[in-house]
Amino acid sequence: MIFKNYYFIPILLFFLSYAVLYIKKNNPYNSFIFLIYFTFVIQSVIVIAGLDKYHFTMIIPIDLMIFFNSWILMLIVILFELLYKAKYIVIYATPIVIAALLVSYFAPSMDINAILKVDSWLLIAHIVLILTGDSLFALAFILSLIYILQERKLKLKKNLKIINSGNKNSSGKNEGRLFNFRRNFNYFNLGKGYNLELLDNMNYQCLKLGFPALTAGIVIGIYLSSALFKSVASVKPIEIISLITWLIYAILLHERVAKGLRGNKAAMLSIAGFIMIILTVGFSLYLFPEFHGLK
Amino acid sequence: MEIIITGLNHKSSDIIHREEVSKKILTKELRNEFIFNIKRLFNEETGKQLIQESAIISTCNRAEFIFAVSGNSSGDNKNIDYGAVIKNIIIKYLFGDNFGNEELRNMFYTYKNFEAILHFFKVASSLDSMIIGEPQILGQIKESYNEACEFKNTGLILNKLFHKSFYCAKRVRTETKIAAAPVSISYAAVELAKKIFNDISNKKVLLLGTGEMGKIAAKHFIKQGVSEIFITNRTREKAVKLAEELDGYDSKTIIDFNEYYKILTVADIVLCSTGADSYIIKYEDIQPIIKMRKQRPIFLIDISVPRNIDPEINKISNVYLFDIDDIGKIIENNLDVRQQEADFAEKIIDEEAEDFINWKNSLNVVPIIVNLRNKVNGILSAELCKYINNKDENIEAIVNSITNKILHEPITKIKRAEVDFNGLNLMEAAKILFDLDINIGSISQENKEIEKEILNAEEDGTDGDNANNANSAPYYNNKIIQLNNNKAK
Repeated sequence: MIFKNYYFIPILLFFLSYAVLYIKKNNPYNSFIFLIYFTFVIQSVIVIAGLDKYHFTMIIPIDLMIFFNSWILMLIVILFELLYKAKYIVIYATPIVIAALLVSYFAPSMDINAILKVDSWLLIAHIVLILTGDSLFALAFILSLIYILQERKLKLKKNLKIINSGNKNSSGKNEGRLFNFRRNFNYFNLGKGYNLELLDNMNYQCLKLGFPALTAGIVIGIYLSSALFKSVASVKPIEIISLITWLIYAILLHERVAKGLRGNKAAMLSIAGFIMIILTVGFSLYLFPEFHGLK
Repeated sequence: MEIIITGLNHKSSDIIHREEVSKKILTKELRNEFIFNIKRLFNEETGKQLIQESAIISTCNRAEFIFAVSGNSSGDNKNIDYGAVIKNIIIKYLFGDNFGNEELRNMFYTYKNFEAILHFFKVASSLDSMIIGEPQILGQIKESYNEACEFKNTGLILNKLFHKSFYCAKRVRTETKIAAAPVSISYAAVELAKKIFNDISNKKVLLLGTGEMGKIAAKHFIKQGVSEIFITNRTREKAVKLAEELDGYDSKTIIDFNEYYKILTVADIVLCSTGADSYIIKYEDIQPIIKMRKQRPIFLIDISVPRNIDPEINKISNVYLFDIDDIGKIIENNLDVRQQEADFAEKIIDEEAEDFINWKNSLNVVPIIVNLRNKVNGILSAELCKYINNKDENIEAIVNSITNKILHEPITKIKRAEVDFNGLNLMEAAKILFDLDINIGSISQENKEIEKEILNAEEDGTDGDNANNANSAPYYNNKIIQLNNNKAK
């Protein structure tokens, strides 16, 4: 069996979790989160098995790299959920994990031939730091989207739920329906932790942790690159695009610390930064892998 | 006597129009002037002084004008819809040139008689409120009644209507669970604050003005454990009084009204409920404050009508402004509960309204009784005088006694028929059969007093205490004579 076929197990389980969330009538969230944790354990086992296959050198195929990235993202989401008691965050953030898993499933799985022997610890640090930074920014992106939607609701004063009717239909009219969208949609409205201040705080936390990780990752990356090509002067597109991404987050962090930028504008910048990350990843892995030194 | 209620509320109109109306009846003096002018304009329009009683209910969610107009749809006034006339006059008075605007006219509703009573009882029982079951409305109606009494605008009908509405509201509150857990404006405000702030306990509240709603909302926020509350009011004494009311809460500071600006840089929640007729917090003022706050979000709740915070402020990022209409709409969208209780409450209201209309209808027969007695009395006196010596002192007593004997049965039947809602025919019949000339609208104040006494006596009579009725008959007959003499004059 091809190793990447195992990737499909967490994908299916994640989809199953959402199905449970929609269909189950009593305590659907508890079942959902149980399935998510269970899937995460499965995902962890696959990651360890995958990395073990390459003796944890991190010189791994792109598909495993993306799978590893999705695992880090899921880990961060779960940690944030536990830390901030913002339980509904998993509902919103898991789709991006699923997307990463799908990408990993369809990504090429050919082995990478390391062009140069580099210090493996630095390479591991480079990859882990960059992926952690990216994952934190991915979470920041999700949080920013929720923030913008929530803020929009508050500004337009539409669809604001202030009474938690417990998702129960006392009249029993819609009990029999499989997809009671109104009932199920409540999960996306009634997250108690979803106040703007918390979303903004979490976003800031992502930035505070993600930025140093990204910076260190890029610095190590440049060092590795110079070691690889023997010259720091040869600037590659990946470095330019990384620098732009880094600059966006640097501006965001500076504005936050110095001028107290927060709320909508901070969320917008977070979204812009994440789009740049997607572009970076796209550039480095698919479009011009040679620029990253992967070929 | 017709009861007419016209006005606008949060359901029929938007806040802008309610504001406009509210400004014209903001103070006691303005309200008194309003009533005076409406009466004058009505007299000019109809040529008769028919508005006998009046009252104004003015809250942040409604402005309602209640009138008791003498004369009903019978007789000369058959084709005149006084409700429409009054509505027109009020709209004309309030909006002047905009009078013809159809949209505006639709905002004003008009209820008459039974519908009006039903509506009024619903309002008093808080069934028509923005937040069903909220307790403030009854207090506001009591204040309106006191004011109407102070200006001597109420009379027999409205006194009874108000008292009955208080009774009805009390019944609704005690016999249903409608007020058990009302989703109030304060509740909604706190819930909205929770959507903006993560932890309310470290937030500071600024209470601008000491309006009733603001006061309640402030208390609600204190219950949620806000860290500090700043109170300010133009009249400092009121702020001090409110601070005293919050004696269980220590972190309160009274600040000078001119200095509330400084507090805006530290306060996270601002409750505004002043009686000012213009914006206190303006768009251009809040922008520098937000910069000074380093973009920390600020939640503004404007519970005042007219609004005291410029609605444009909501466009500034990290500023969240909700006025009373916004909160009302949110509550409405969130309320599908308590409908059953509201149904129970409506049954009670139906009962009480029916009871009241019965009483009111029984008033209609008074002029008929008076005229009928007068007619029979007159005929008997004239006929007896032909055969008995004019100077016989007993003649008056004999006439009264015979009148009572003859008319006791028909009067009782007319009254009962009137209460049972089929009385119009009997009254009409009596008028036609005895050729009675009734012009209710022309009854003078003095006559009304006499009528009141007669009515009370008749009420005793319907209880079946005939002996009592017979004993008091001469006294009331004299009163009737006095009434007729007055009319003749």
